[in-house]
Parts: sequence; structure tokens; C-alpha cells
Amino acid sequence: MKSQGGRVLIGAGIALALLTGLIWLSKVPIFVGYRLILQGAIGIPPSENAGLLDAWDNTLHEMTPILLTGLAVALALQAGLFNIGAAGQLTVGACAAAWIGARFTLPAPVHLPFALLAGAAAGAVWAWLPAWLKMKRGAHEVITTIMFNYLALYFTHWLVTEVIKDPESDAPKTAAIAETAQLPFIGSFLFTSWGFVLAVALALVLWALLYQTVWGYETRATGSNPDAAQAAGIPTHRRAITAFMMSGALAGLAGAVEVCGLHYNFFEGFPSGYGFDGIAVALLAGNHPALTIGTAYLFGALQSGTYNLHVATGAPKEIAIIMQGVLILFALSLRLGKRAPEK
Amino acid sequence: MRCRCAWANAHLKSNETTMNEILNLELLNAAIRNAAPLIFAALGGLLSERSGVVNIGLEGMMLMGAFVSAWIALLTGSLWLGLFGGVMAGAMLALIHAYATQQWRADHVISGVAVILLASGLTTYLFRRFIIPMEEAGKTSVVGVFPSFEAEWMESNPLGLLLKGQNWMVLFALFLPIAIHLIMKRSRWGLRLFAVGNDSQKARSMGVPVRALRYQGVLLSGALAGLAGVFLTLALTGQFRENMSAGKGFIALAALIFGRWTPWGAVGAALGFGFFEALQLQLQGKQVVAHALGADDGCLWCRWLQRLGNKETELLTGHELPTDLLLMLPYLLTVIAMIGLFGKMKPPSDLGNP
Repeated sequence: MKSQGGRVLIGAGIALALLTGLIWLSKVPIFVGYRLILQGAIGIPPSENAGLLDAWDNTLHEMTPILLTGLAVALALQAGLFNIGAAGQLTVGACAAAWIGARFTLPAPVHLPFALLAGAAAGAVWAWLPAWLKMKRGAHEVITTIMFNYLALYFTHWLVTEVIKDPESDAPKTAAIAETAQLPFIGSFLFTSWGFVLAVALALVLWALLYQTVWGYETRATGSNPDAAQAAGIPTHRRAITAFMMSGALAGLAGAVEVCGLHYNFFEGFPSGYGFDGIAVALLAGNHPALTIGTAYLFGALQSGTYNLHVATGAPKEIAIIMQGVLILFALSLRLGKRAPEK
Repeated sequence: MRCRCAWANAHLKSNETTMNEILNLELLNAAIRNAAPLIFAALGGLLSERSGVVNIGLEGMMLMGAFVSAWIALLTGSLWLGLFGGVMAGAMLALIHAYATQQWRADHVISGVAVILLASGLTTYLFRRFIIPMEEAGKTSVVGVFPSFEAEWMESNPLGLLLKGQNWMVLFALFLPIAIHLIMKRSRWGLRLFAVGNDSQKARSMGVPVRALRYQGVLLSGALAGLAGVFLTLALTGQFRENMSAGKGFIALAALIFGRWTPWGAVGAALGFGFFEALQLQLQGKQVVAHALGADDGCLWCRWLQRLGNKETELLTGHELPTDLLLMLPYLLTVIAMIGLFGKMKPPSDLGNP
């Protein structure tokens, strides 16, 4: 069984066996467990407390930040850089968007784009320094972006407790953003915000950009063989830094979308685990932006499915995190995500 | 003109020298205790990275060690069995990392991410599934800690004050770098490990079993990171809390890099980072005290703020030292070290390559 097909079968079998084991360990009958997960993920088979639309609603808004951070990681990897700092970029992006959203009073057509762009810009800045340090001083971006994750955590914590804290509240959180800065829902039938549409559109744009333009070709060339790209006259440093900043902008946008479309403020302990989710979905999609939509959907469905299981039976919802780790290992066993060695 | 400044504590109590001295030694005492898990994990990371395998999974291995040690200690009532279990749990996670990076030639960073996710998911899952219900049934989840050193002579002696309240694991953490240093510099195994990390091709052509050595390096690093986790439960707090490693694995990684992948450097950095943590904890709990703001009287921070802003208005309301700044210091210093401002960095040259 050395063939790729055989590996897929074995890996998928092990992953399903583990999921089954976890459901069993949670003292939930296995058949019931799978039914609850499916109900939460895709709404089929239909049930009384979780309708079809509820399930899709949860899945789509779970997948939105995952897709954006997944695109961030995929884009950086296409340029040969590992962005493990999406979590930090997401945090500063969320913080910036929340500040813009609460601080200013502007008409909606200006305010919302302003808040989203501020989030993206903050993420881009947070990504720029590690990329620049890598190009100028050879500091490895994996380590610097890990450090920047924690710098972002404490920096925004300081901001939200001392500088931009909501004066009306004792809790370390910002004031709620103005209604003009909120992302509207897609429709009365679906409580997912337009952030989801934005994320999918960006995935398609990124696909076109990477595979249909000269810039994209040069960026990918920089990623796959920097020496050859340099010899061919491609400004590899500039391409890599631009791609990494765009990657940071996407992660920052993920934070902004979370603030403008879901939480409506920034607070201490803002969820930033989407950074690691992004690595997983980009890896499973082979760093292809369009395929990332699919893998992000899978992860969103997994989250929302296990959440339904959690609500219905009290089984810990961390089953989703375990399965993500397993899926990454599964992808690695398929020899996905191999990069050219340094130098 | 009064300024509520945390640093001022020291200024105000300068007449009570003995009191002050004890306070400082207490701070150092806490610093050593905070540094111990960082030392274990950083030295673990050293063994892995010196063999050429990047190990960002230290965080996950630590968390796993913390959980399993608490769980086993709860089930068996024996701290030593808990310790053994925690160390083995760290090594088991490391085995996954070693297998993925060596057998599948997977990217070391991605495999590390998988390890972190697995540890975070598994520990929280098992904690909620098995230990929380125990709590609800009225049983305790507190396992207790290894006995700490208490003796008469420690009260008066500075060395005694540093050791007071510590336990054998802290002593072990302080002696471990000597052992690791000797192993890396003097033993055949250590020198070979070093060679594998620097140039695996050459090492292989000289007949050194590259893959076996990397397995050993990674497994030992998992065991040590597991021990760091054991320290958190069985030496520091006496019980497991969800995600209790809280980034300590990454600080240990930072200490390893800041210490330039050498045992002494890593331990020095770990002690420094432990000190920041202790200082931050001290400042957080402290009632800030007012002190007169004058040219000589104010602390550095006051004077700096004074220069930045209008001294008449701003400082009247006072300020506190933002503890977040102290928490940022390890990461900030590591980034600065990485760009070569404290001298050139020389990571193992084959680090991260399959």
C-alpha cells in the first residue's frame, strides 16, 4: 500500500476510527453521535432543534475566519514563507477594527470599509516586520512570527485595559462598534454576515492573482526556487515581502470580520486559534486558494458539528481540535506541505 | 506632585535595608521557581534542535506532561508515578513528531503545529470528560506537590533564602545544564548529535546513524518538555488547569534561541525570563505607592514619562508600570537577538531540513 490512494484510504480510516473512538469515549451512542454531528454541520437529517438553515448558518460563519487565515497561510507559503503568526495578525486586526468602529462616527458606506481596511492594515504591519527582518537580517520568520503572536497578545491586552477600554465598563473590552461599522447579515433567512461572501470572493481573487498574473507567477517562482527566480531577474525580496504583507492583511481582515460581523467589540482573550486552523486548511488544500474554500468548509462543518454534539450531549467540544491535529498528520502522511530546504 | 509608581516601592523602603534585601531575595527565589520549567523545556528543545529537528511542539508536550502527571497522580495517589507518566506522555507526543519528520519527511513546523493541537485538544477533552465529573462528584482534583525545603538555617543565609520553599525538581533544573553540557561536549553520543544537526549528509557518510540519533534527540526533548509540564502540576500548583502551559513552551523556545542553542545560554535566558515573570507577578499584586516626583526622586520610568508628556498635568494622576510590557520582554529580546544585535546567531546549520 505505498500508493497515494492507499495512503488516503488508510489515513481516512484511522481518522474516522479516532472520531468514532472519541464519540464512544464521550458515552454517546456512536450512531447518535454521528447523526448529531451531521445535523450540526449540514442540517441533515433534519431535527426539531437544529434546522437546516441553522446548521448552515453556524458552519458558514465558523468557516469565515478559518478561510481568511487559511488564505493568509497559503499565500505566504506560495511565496516560500511560513506565516505561523496569523493569530497575532488577526488579534491586532480585530483590535484596530474595533477601535475604528467605536471611535468614529461616519456614514456606513465609509465607516465599514474603513474599519475592515484598518484591520487589514494592522495585520499587514504586524506581518511586515518579520518579513523585513527575514530579508534584511536573516531572522527566521517562523520564530519571529511566533514571538509576534505573543507581542500582539500583550500589546492588545495593554491597549484594551489602559488605552481604548470602554470607560463605561469594568471589563477589559472596547465599547461596542457603531452600527455603521457592522457587517450586515446576508439575508433574513441566513444570519451569516457578508464577511463570508467577502472571504470567498477574496479566495477567488487570490486564485486569479496567483495563477493568472505575472505577479502571481513571480511570487510562486520565488516560493518554489528563490535562487532560480533571482537569476531570472525576479525581485524575490520584494515579491516575498509583498506576499507576506498581503498574508498579514488577510489575517488582520479575519479579525476585523470577526469584530464587525460577530462580536461587535474587542475584548481580553479574543479568540485567535484560527491562526492554527489556517495552517491546517492551507496544508490540506495544498496552498491552493480555491481549494482552501473547500477545506475551510470542512473545518467549519467539523466545528459546528461537534458544537452541536456538545450542546446536545455535553460531550467536550474539543473533539474538533483533536480531529484537526489528526487531519494535519493525515495531510503530512500524504507528503503534502513539503517545502524546499533552506539555502 | 505625586506619582503612584510601582518602582517607587524600592525607593521608599530604602531605609529598611534588611527588609528590602529579603524582598529582593524572595523575588529571586520566585524567579528560580518560575525559570525551572523553562529550563527543562529549553534544554529539551536544545537536544531536538541540535539534532536538526525544529521543535515548536514543546508547548504541546509540556501541556500533555502536565495533564497526564496530574491524572495519574490522582488515580494512583503517587506523585512519582505521576511524574513518570508525565515524562512518558511528553515522549509519546515527541514520537509522533519524530515519526512525521523522519519517516514522512514532513515539514517540522507543521508537524509541531499538529502536536500542539493534539495536546491542546486531548488534554482539555480528557480533563472535561474524566476530571471535571470527579470534581462534581465531590472528589478533589488537587494532587499536591513534592515536599519543599524548609530548615532553620535557611532563614538567615542568602543561599538558604534562595532555596527556601523550593523542591528537588528546582535543584534538578539547576544541575541539568551541567549534565547536558558535559553530554554535548564530552560524550560520543552528544558529539554525534551535534554533527547530525550541523551536516546530516556528512555525518551519514561518516557512518553516523542520522535517523536514530534524531529519534533519540526528539524523544528526549519530549521527555524533558513533559518534565516541565510535570513541574507545573506536581511542583508549582498541585493541580491541572486547562491550557495551563499558557505559552511557556514558546518562552522556552525563545530562551533556547536567545541562548544561541547552548545549554548555558538557554539556562541563562530561562532564568532571565523567569525573573521577568516573577517581577510581573510581584508588581501585579502590589499596592502602588506614591512618591515625590523630583529630578532625583523619580524612577527611570517616571522620568521617561515626564520627558514624553507634560509633567505638570499628566503625572499628577500617576501611572503604573504596565505589566504587559514585562510580559512582552522575553519575546522582544528574542526578536532583537535574532536580528543579530547581540552578536551573530549560529543555529545548527542543518536545522529544519529533512
